[in-house]
Amino acid sequence: MRVPVQVTVNKKAYRVEVDTRMILADMLRDVLRLTGTHIGCGTGSCGACTVFLNGETVKSCSVLAADVDGQDVTTIEGLSAGAHQLHPVQEAFVKHQGLQCGYCTPGMVLSAIQLLKDNPNPSEAEIRRGIAGNLCRCTGYQFIVESIQAAAQAKA
Amino acid sequence: MISKEYRFEAPRELGEALSLLEKYGDDAKVLAGGMSLVPTMTLGLVQPDVVISLNHIPNLDYVREEGNLLKIGALTRHDTVRKNALVQRHCPLLAEAAAFIGDVQVRHRGSIGGSIAHADPAAGYPPVMLILGAQFRLQRTKGDRTVPAAAFFKDLMQTALEPGELVTEIAVPKLPAGAGSAYLRLHRVEGNFAIVAAAAVVEKGFKSVRLGLAGVGPKAVLVDVTARFKGGLTDAALKAMRGDVAEASADAYGDLNGDAEYRRAMAEVYAERGVRTAASRVS
Repeated sequence: MRVPVQVTVNKKAYRVEVDTRMILADMLRDVLRLTGTHIGCGTGSCGACTVFLNGETVKSCSVLAADVDGQDVTTIEGLSAGAHQLHPVQEAFVKHQGLQCGYCTPGMVLSAIQLLKDNPNPSEAEIRRGIAGNLCRCTGYQFIVESIQAAAQAKA
Repeated sequence: MISKEYRFEAPRELGEALSLLEKYGDDAKVLAGGMSLVPTMTLGLVQPDVVISLNHIPNLDYVREEGNLLKIGALTRHDTVRKNALVQRHCPLLAEAAAFIGDVQVRHRGSIGGSIAHADPAAGYPPVMLILGAQFRLQRTKGDRTVPAAAFFKDLMQTALEPGELVTEIAVPKLPAGAGSAYLRLHRVEGNFAIVAAAAVVEKGFKSVRLGLAGVGPKAVLVDVTARFKGGLTDAALKAMRGDVAEASADAYGDLNGDAEYRRAMAEVYAERGVRTAASRVS
């Protein structure tokens, strides 16, 4: 069964038709060709597919594409116009080596932005809790935490 | 992509959702936050013919104060329960439990009604609902009833919900003035379900001492240990309480995170910490 979906992604309005079985992450990648959203586990554990839904982070593998009809989504592509105009959190990840293979990075960056929105000056423990829903299999957590600390300081 | 085909319904009002539930009965699954449902569908463990989403129904997401009760709409997200000022003031135990559910992303999307209807034995809300004496409003096309938490949770992921019924509201009595409460949980990895969890409420002067335990059997259990604390927080009282907890944990299960014996041992530890922490918060 296919259903129509009207959705705003990165401030652009889309009208698409999707299979009811499609998850939001697949719609973003395969229908809208926004491949910055990565799929790791596909079952809500790893957070690689994190996106903003109506301004709050969710795991897009655990949301049905059909269910975002009328909603507002922001993906990693929505943060900046390109490599020369990165979001301050992205800048901090670049500067402080907050990524190794890069697979978890889009989700990490979006979770970091959510964290700093809720808590502009987080402690290290609060940062670790804030990214608890994002796994880095390179185990590069230390540099990720330092990147987020640097982003918080840059903002302050 | 989920493998099995299904019909997707997105009703715009509650009445329409109830009609769809009546029409499709057990062939349908209700989608609230979807934090358990969507991954289990992806894994092929649940294969409904129809999915009825509640996410497009307005006014299912609220926290209201009505006399001695807080009334919480079923679609209220965990993060809202955690942050809501009324919940924090009148039922801090509920806010504390909500803060430990899953991770940030899960708390943004997962809902209190969905979690309660799912009835996972290690979930955050059930022991809290038992201890607070919460009531759940269950609606259907031609019916509207209220069921206490103790009668709602029947067994492992089994509830009093009948085909066609939907949890629409959770009514939670406010904690008595001055009562202390605490929710403590044991988990290996942040965001995992608890191995065991203990909720505790201690009323001023040890007028009542109640425990809610999760992870120690197919459903959460309530243990009233008021009689043990007649003489206050003594070693003898705690020892007697551990005996009550052991008895209440007789049906503990084992899984990758710990066997039944470990769960029983940890239930005693967390029950004691829970009572001590709650007692320290009495004002």
